Amino acid sequence: MSASWGKLFFQLVLLLASCGHINTKTPSPTSPSLDPISPLPSDIRRVVLKGESHTEKVELLNPVDLALECIWSGNENKSPNITGYWRKDGEEMQSIRVTVQLENDKYTLRQVFKIVSKENLGSYSCSFGDEAKADFLLAGPQIGEVRDKPIVSYVGDSVVVKCKMDEKKPKPASWNWYKANGTDKEQIFYAAEPQKYEIKNHEWVTKLVVHKLTEGDSGFYYCEGVYAVSTTMGHVELKVITFLEPLKPFIAIIVEVIVLVAAILIYEKSQSKKNSAGGNETNADQTNTPTPGDNNGPEESSSTRQRKV
Amino acid sequence: MAPAPANTLGYKPPDGGWGWMVVIGAHISIGFAYSTPKVLSIFFKAIQEDLGASYSEIAWISSIMLAAMYAGGPVSSVLVDRFGSRPIVMLGGLMCGVSMVIASFGTSIAYIYFFIGIIGGSGLCLNLNASLTIISKYFLVRRPLANGLAMAGSPVFLCVVAPLNQYLLDRFGWRGSLFILGALMLNCCVAGALMRPVALPPRRRDSRASLKTVEEQRSGSNTEPEGSCVKKAKKFINLSLFKNRGFVFYLIGNMLYIFGAYAPIVFLPVYAVSQGLDNYSAAYLLSIMGFVDMFVRPCTGLLANSKWIRPRIQYFFSFAMVFNGVCHLLCPLLNTHAFLVAYAVFFGVGFGMVFALIFECLMDLMGSQCFPSAVGLVTIIECFPMLLGPPAAGFLVDLSDDHKYLFLLMCGSVIVAAGLFLFVANLYNYHMLDKEKAQKDQEQQKLRTSENQEQQKLRTSENQEQQKLRTSENQEQQVSTAEGEREEHAAESVTKQTGTKDDNEAQA
Repeated sequence: MSASWGKLFFQLVLLLASCGHINTKTPSPTSPSLDPISPLPSDIRRVVLKGESHTEKVELLNPVDLALECIWSGNENKSPNITGYWRKDGEEMQSIRVTVQLENDKYTLRQVFKIVSKENLGSYSCSFGDEAKADFLLAGPQIGEVRDKPIVSYVGDSVVVKCKMDEKKPKPASWNWYKANGTDKEQIFYAAEPQKYEIKNHEWVTKLVVHKLTEGDSGFYYCEGVYAVSTTMGHVELKVITFLEPLKPFIAIIVEVIVLVAAILIYEKSQSKKNSAGGNETNADQTNTPTPGDNNGPEESSSTRQRKV
Repeated sequence: MAPAPANTLGYKPPDGGWGWMVVIGAHISIGFAYSTPKVLSIFFKAIQEDLGASYSEIAWISSIMLAAMYAGGPVSSVLVDRFGSRPIVMLGGLMCGVSMVIASFGTSIAYIYFFIGIIGGSGLCLNLNASLTIISKYFLVRRPLANGLAMAGSPVFLCVVAPLNQYLLDRFGWRGSLFILGALMLNCCVAGALMRPVALPPRRRDSRASLKTVEEQRSGSNTEPEGSCVKKAKKFINLSLFKNRGFVFYLIGNMLYIFGAYAPIVFLPVYAVSQGLDNYSAAYLLSIMGFVDMFVRPCTGLLANSKWIRPRIQYFFSFAMVFNGVCHLLCPLLNTHAFLVAYAVFFGVGFGMVFALIFECLMDLMGSQCFPSAVGLVTIIECFPMLLGPPAAGFLVDLSDDHKYLFLLMCGSVIVAAGLFLFVANLYNYHMLDKEKAQKDQEQQKLRTSENQEQQKLRTSENQEQQKLRTSENQEQQVSTAEGEREEHAAESVTKQTGTKDDNEAQA
């Protein structure tokens, strides 16, 4: 008899537990699969609506129970009830539309979302009727340094394309590299062409080494840092040029130098010819006339006494 | 009172005419020499990424280049003395250009150390020394102005080449940029072509004596080493220069100055950022300083040329140093953006004044004959404080985050000390020179009077001798005329011929 009571008690507990979970179901319209027993860390983001709309960025790396809360102080006619609903990526989540009571002169709309995978990220909006709205953008962290100028390298050379994550944020679990191919991104597989590509990952930095560059290697390269639930994308542009490009200004400058040097030397020759033609004027005394003679200090060169005639 | 500039050249320098073209050439040459080690730092990050070097390894490139540039001074002096300025500047330009072009193909950092650092640095060293020497040959009266204009090349080229390098880097990458920069450095050859050797008048036997003006007399003690300089110019290190008091003082003052001079430039952006400026404004401060420097140098040259300052140019130099140092000492009190801009302006003024005068003062002290070997010696000795200064300041910068102004205090006090030392030392030096000159004048007077006396003695003795000679001649003449008469008589008597032998014998 006690065994059956025990079983009943156990089943009751189970029932209660599953009931408790029903309120925190995932926002997808489809019914959720069984939730894992291990508890997720929880986090909360709160937004106080002032004016019409507001956007808040949320960076997420790991699975989390994220509570999103919107507080609105209402408008002129403070109706006691208002419909609050949530949208994900523009689509309304029908299952969690609630009626919000006016408490302490404001409306509070709160919802906990389970973020476990990439699909859970996106744009979440809370709305009070048709009047007030707030957006939460759930995404991965931004890449730390985005290089706006293209990397320039030469045909036949090898180049290092670098992506760096901000060191204040945790490091990605792994990195992927993509090359833009038209509008698509094609992943670069390390193993496929080991002669051409090399990927070196080191903590917050990832480096893609491209060997034996050709002009076709120009374009955008995307580095993707992979976290538990999110990814983050950065891009770098690579430009490959041939050696002829710097050669043109180089030759122009060399020509200019040769022309100038020749011109200066020719001018000088012509000047000296003129001078020598016009008599030895250049050899004329640029010296002063000898000053009358009381200036023989310890002169090393002329030790002979000058006898002034 | 300092003596007026001494003309020890042996001829009257043109002080104009083609000399201004030479100043242009020197401007270009000095511009490349001073600006290249600094602007190369724009490429460092790109080279670092490509060749996989660490930050400190990359920073060595500039240090090696500066060290080679300064340490090659004595070699450069000897070459300039032997071959003249023109071929040396052209060789220097060629070396720099070729080294940059070869370095652009570099595959390892050691390659770049050798080509840019050592060969490029040596090329720049040849340029620097030769340009300064030829200015001292072409100018005397207007020399401070010429020096100011030539030294202005450094900030001008810095302001022009730095953005150019950035553009080249974005357009062609670091390899293409070095390639093109090499071609640009060949313009030093154009500068060299402008440095026509001075048309010397033919050396006459008494030309050196006849050329001494009254002014040169007053700086009598300077002429003694002059002659020795010409002979010893073939040697690499002319140790007899150390016997010159003025030279030693100049050297000490300059070493102190150089120790503190470059560190504020290197660390000003760091300091500004620690005071709350953003990176862009902090970098802008240096551009302001460079821009001000560009105009201050020729103006200082002009000012130093005026008749009030030229005789007292060494004191003006000390004043410029003290001004520079005080600027640094006052900087920690200023921590708003506007004040830091004002500091950058005054820093530019002080720095420009010192550098416009730094070689002019050496020329003034040593004269043109000794200057090439002197400048070689000065640069090689200045190598040490120049390389030690920024790391020492960097150590202070790293020491504490709150007290980033420590390095400014250090640099400021060192520079003020240098300026004050030079001021006092020059007072002493000129005092001693005046004393020596007075002594020499006395000795010369004594010598002259004694010479006059000797000459008089000689003359009187000569006169006496001449008189004696004349009297003896007269006597001889009388004797000979008497003899002649006698002979005639004898001849007559022989023709008459009667028993007058006895008479003849008696008469003979």
